[in-house]
Amino acid sequence: MKQILTSLVFLLTLTYGYGQERKTVSGYIKDASDGESLIGVSVYVREIGNGTVTNDYGYYALNLPTGTYTLVFNYIGYEKIEKKIELTADLKLNLELKDESLKLQEVVVKATKEDENVKNIEMSVNKVEMKTIRQMPALLGEVDLVRSIQLLPGVTSVGEGASGFNVRGGNIDQNLVLLDEAPVFNSSHLFGFFSVFNPDAIKDVKLVKGGIPAQYGGRISSILDVRLKEGNSKKTEINGGVGTIFSRLSYERPFAKGKGSFIVAGRRSYIDVLAKPFLSGDLKGSRFYFYDFTAKANYRIDDKNTVYASGYFGRDVFGADFGFDWGNQTATARWNHVFNNKLFMNFTTFYSNYDYGLESDRNNTSKTGDKFKWNSNIQTWSLKPDFTYYLTPNNTVTFGGQYINYTSKPGTALAISSGESRNISLDARYADESALYIGNEQKVNDWLSFQYGIRYSHFRNLGPGTNFEFQEIVKGERKIPVSETKYETGVINEYGNWEPRFSTKIELSPSTSIKASYNRTVQYLHLLSNTAASSPLDVWTLSSKIIKPQIADQVALGWFQNFQDNTYEASVEVYYKDLQNQIDYVRNSDLLLNKYLEGDLLFGNGRAYGAEFYVKKNRGKLTGWMSYTLARTERKIEGINNNGWFPARFDKTHNLSVVGLYQLNERWSFSTNFAFNTGTPASFPTNRFEWGGWALPQNVNDSRNASRIPSYHRLDFGATLKSKKKLFGKGQGEWVFSVYNAYNRRNPFSTYVQQNEDNNLQTEAVRYSIIGSVIPAVTYNFKF
Amino acid sequence: MKKIFAQLFILSLTLGALTSCEDVVDLDIPSGDPQLVVDGWVTNQATEHTIRLTESAPYFDNSPAKPVLNATVIVTDDKGKVFTFKDLKNNGYYVWKPASASDSLGRIGGTYTLNVKFGTEEYRATTKLNRVPKIDSMTYFFDKLPVAPTDGSPQEGYKPEFFARDPTGAGDCYWIKSYRNGKYYNSASNISTAFDAAFSPGANSDGLIFILPIRQSVVPQIEFALEKDTIKVELLSVSLEAYYFLNQVRMESTNGGLFATPPSNIFTNVTNVNPNGRKALGFFGASGVSTFQTVIDAKKAKPKNG
Repeated sequence: MKQILTSLVFLLTLTYGYGQERKTVSGYIKDASDGESLIGVSVYVREIGNGTVTNDYGYYALNLPTGTYTLVFNYIGYEKIEKKIELTADLKLNLELKDESLKLQEVVVKATKEDENVKNIEMSVNKVEMKTIRQMPALLGEVDLVRSIQLLPGVTSVGEGASGFNVRGGNIDQNLVLLDEAPVFNSSHLFGFFSVFNPDAIKDVKLVKGGIPAQYGGRISSILDVRLKEGNSKKTEINGGVGTIFSRLSYERPFAKGKGSFIVAGRRSYIDVLAKPFLSGDLKGSRFYFYDFTAKANYRIDDKNTVYASGYFGRDVFGADFGFDWGNQTATARWNHVFNNKLFMNFTTFYSNYDYGLESDRNNTSKTGDKFKWNSNIQTWSLKPDFTYYLTPNNTVTFGGQYINYTSKPGTALAISSGESRNISLDARYADESALYIGNEQKVNDWLSFQYGIRYSHFRNLGPGTNFEFQEIVKGERKIPVSETKYETGVINEYGNWEPRFSTKIELSPSTSIKASYNRTVQYLHLLSNTAASSPLDVWTLSSKIIKPQIADQVALGWFQNFQDNTYEASVEVYYKDLQNQIDYVRNSDLLLNKYLEGDLLFGNGRAYGAEFYVKKNRGKLTGWMSYTLARTERKIEGINNNGWFPARFDKTHNLSVVGLYQLNERWSFSTNFAFNTGTPASFPTNRFEWGGWALPQNVNDSRNASRIPSYHRLDFGATLKSKKKLFGKGQGEWVFSVYNAYNRRNPFSTYVQQNEDNNLQTEAVRYSIIGSVIPAVTYNFKF
Repeated sequence: MKKIFAQLFILSLTLGALTSCEDVVDLDIPSGDPQLVVDGWVTNQATEHTIRLTESAPYFDNSPAKPVLNATVIVTDDKGKVFTFKDLKNNGYYVWKPASASDSLGRIGGTYTLNVKFGTEEYRATTKLNRVPKIDSMTYFFDKLPVAPTDGSPQEGYKPEFFARDPTGAGDCYWIKSYRNGKYYNSASNISTAFDAAFSPGANSDGLIFILPIRQSVVPQIEFALEKDTIKVELLSVSLEAYYFLNQVRMESTNGGLFATPPSNIFTNVTNVNPNGRKALGFFGASGVSTFQTVIDAKKAKPKNG
């Protein structure tokens, strides 16, 4: 550590000019129409041929020798602004950029500086603007963030309707899904059909698949950074819509004379309301709905201090006499503080909780009756100071830390049988995770940049708790508990890990660059799930003496090229990822309410490699992208597949996506998606044997995922019509039409074998499709 | 659990206008060499017992399993008693017949070892015959499905429930088998097992009356018993191995959908005496059995939730 710090300081001083007096120009950049801060605006200093970009809060700072400069503020889709400044003393320069699309009627695919693809050191990063996501054809017309990012290179899922997404060979629990910096544990409504993010409240989405900077940690495959809108700080705005599944409403407005603003947004499914008159008997008390509520407020205290508060609450509720509900809650408070013009701090504190509950016999209130009640939750809170030090235009140092506290109650359950009750709860588990990091983004010269950093993470299991020991009798089979050691307080078990991060960019020409990166990431929290698609019942489980932290090492190399004056951007990236301490399960594993759960887990390694090709058109009436990924994801677990490598459940060799958006005129726009994926791996029996009157499957090779189901492909269309007439004189309305799975393909989610329903001795194969037909939908949106 | 879950899922899907569907398709998969399959279960009841020996076959070969003939099949207990099973009809069904009406093979607390000699190979399986509580009573209540089943089966009828108390002392495992008018509910998805009085080892349910969904597992979830039907329930004690085996049979028989688990080979307790010899499949189990029988009489039905 000391050596690294020394060399870091050395590198910094190397490029730091001495002798001349230096001053700083800094400020916030916002959108002129609604006051939303703009992330990633390019601030270019013409005289030195160098510059910076605004951070996640729209803040920038440039430390320059005194003198006269021309600053160019540039952000795609917005009018460029040039400012001449006389830098004799520290200068505050806040600006508002005007939306260019109002003028040009162009569709904007991404909101960053135009040549960022080539110039920025970031690689393996995809940003998709909400505008784009909103225009893409969506299942049942419901704009969905997670479904949209599945069309990006390197992103797959186990299939339609499955919860979550897989990035470069990582499980769904290896993605850090952040909503305003608070982790979201379950990103799905209705098992996996819709994501929990209300599109009306989202401002910006970024998916980081590789070259992960030192400030991020805690998950090993990717970061999905979702930022909420701050709320219109210019005027009151109401947005809403009625779709096939959700009805939505959001309200935003300024307060304190524009020094603050807020947004509140809610969605609720309404099918239950429509169905109510048709339900009778046992279904009368049926509950089946899901909703979410998102809110955010910000207040600028003065030029140096801004505070933000945001929260999310979502819930899915199903059942009648038997009830089942689950949901996430998050709350984030942030304080942006500018210490001096060069040092920027964001202090975040968040709370995040995921819980579910099951209850049988809800209608039975008698004391002698029967009941089963079960709750499970994972709860975290965290303190997270992050500092950015704008040392020189060529060196931006980031440093900070994070403390996360975990409380996991994997199962709190009560069973009442004929009036006798039993508490069958599992003990709560406690842990914390601390991390410190430092990194620097260094521009060595016009064509060479580095980003390097290191993160140290430290995880502790805290008392009260129990360390279990198990004995393995047969490899791959359930391990038998042999001892339990109980601790009342103190540290039960701990892990510490260094996580080095490194990226470099070599610019070969103004439109071409090569980038390379290496990063190590570590994860101490694991979602245990042995089903094809993860279910809301799956439990987030902390590392323990037995469950070692998951570790990933990834190297990536990429070629980045822009064409025709940045109209097109293209990239080719290859990656290799090595994964340690991957989790699998014994047959017949019992993952819920099992005190000896760890005896049912198997551990091993993983590897993932692939090539991603990506072309995107940023300007013109026709915009969109094409992405193709050639990839392999494998696992090697002792006791499975004869201890040999086998493809992971979500391994897809070929993955092609095409997204096209076409703006015909001011009123009409059209869109289309096409996706093609190799079928996911499957295991089939070779033989059958008769036992107890049943024909049972058996695989003589004991292999895992040796076959594949047929490939998946799908075409969707969408169209948006803006209504001509103003709504009540001033509002805007639009109709969104969509056709999902346009050529009516019955794409298999899985193929499996079973006994015929009427004859237990007859075997058959079944193709299971989640969506078996074409799905048209209409949505109406309005805005005041 | 998975079942309830699946139902909720189907409910939400139907109402949500989504169109999940299942089709029977052809699948071309390779097959492996045949293996010996042992299908044997003995009880403490004074009846004849059968151990069936067959060969495994390619998965989609739906012809009857090929019997294994000319094997020597012997069961010995922990007291040195030997029971010889004979293939009387030369069809792979090896039978032991009690010498008298009160002569039973199994005894609570006994350990039974099966020995099969077939060609040059010798196979062995050992199991314990555990205690079983008596079934105290059976009740039933009238119930109705909100919508008529599409296959024409009854929309309303009686839901029987049996009452028995798990004996004190953790680790008792059970298999609940039931019959309507003498017909065994034989679908693998209906295999009902219990650990102590609940579903699984983690449930801390020792000594309870069998918990509710298990008590009602007499007839499958969307089926009914009708007036004058004879309903019989058998409560079988099984070993822990058998409990896991049966759970796996249920799971691997219908392992599809969003929440399917990776298919895995079903556990066997039959081993070749020569560890390098050819392996066998199947299971040899032993049970203590309690039965209870009732005839549905509308006048005696209890109110629901009563």
